[in-house]
Amino acid sequence: MAPTRRVTNLALLVSVGLVLGIIESTLPPLLPVPGARLGLANIATVIALYLYGPGMALEVTILRCVLGGLLRGSVVGLVLSLTGGVLSTLVMILLVLLGKRLFSVVGVSVAGAVTHNIGQLGAAYLLVRQVALFYYLPYLMLISIPTGLFVGFASRRVINSLHGISLGEV
Amino acid sequence: MTVGGQTGKVRLGDLVLVALVVVAAAASVMLVSAARAGEKGSLVIIEVNGREVKRVALGPGQAARTFKIETGDGYNMVVVDGGRVRVKEADCRDRVCLGMGWAETSGDNIICLPHRMVIRVVGRRAPNGVDTVVE
Repeated sequence: MAPTRRVTNLALLVSVGLVLGIIESTLPPLLPVPGARLGLANIATVIALYLYGPGMALEVTILRCVLGGLLRGSVVGLVLSLTGGVLSTLVMILLVLLGKRLFSVVGVSVAGAVTHNIGQLGAAYLLVRQVALFYYLPYLMLISIPTGLFVGFASRRVINSLHGISLGEV
Repeated sequence: MTVGGQTGKVRLGDLVLVALVVVAAAASVMLVSAARAGEKGSLVIIEVNGREVKRVALGPGQAARTFKIETGDGYNMVVVDGGRVRVKEADCRDRVCLGMGWAETSGDNIICLPHRMVIRVVGRRAPNGVDTVVE
């Protein structure tokens, strides 16, 4: 992919992720559990992973977490979402590399949602050192299934629509 | 490097993955409740008909006290002695609550079904976020 095209597509995906994150922040919380979110911004990472590969997915995640954290003005939030985001992206990359016969985008997205929550909780624990934080883990894991499925099905629609349209040498 | 755009149908691996997450969540529920069960209770919450009627602090320093809990169907004499609680006397028909003995660890319950009274022992942090109750 030509460098200009790559930078443009990366910027587009990061913007999509940021806007989805902002839209999501206006929605009421799903559960009275801190960290339980729909994770719409992950759609941008999943699209990047399937259309452009692991490198692009990781770049989209890091950029949208850092920029999103700066936009919200929360350093703690930035650290939490970056840890969760990078861990979940690495796991999603691993599952895709394991093979598309094994996992579709839906399963990959669920795994991403679960590991995002685990990474975020782990980072939160390192910050505050309260074991009680892990009491939230079961709820966060269970809520990840519907949210991961939602993000997975949404991403699949987008990927299937974009596939075949010229987005650069995909 | 690209992975390509084929996302495919839902695969067997997806279902296995979701099942694994459910199992892991269930396992963590058990771990969490096991971790909490060991905690010494610090608060007794007495409920009648699902409504809280009394809360009493638990702890080694507390002197023994007896409370008469009047319910619509009868009464229960509840004894709080140091870090534990029991029902001493009741006019219910089956007296199961008397046989339940002392409750002292977080998560323990004493239930009197005929009077619809529940005595719950909770841990360091009460469900409403109160750390301790001073009377």
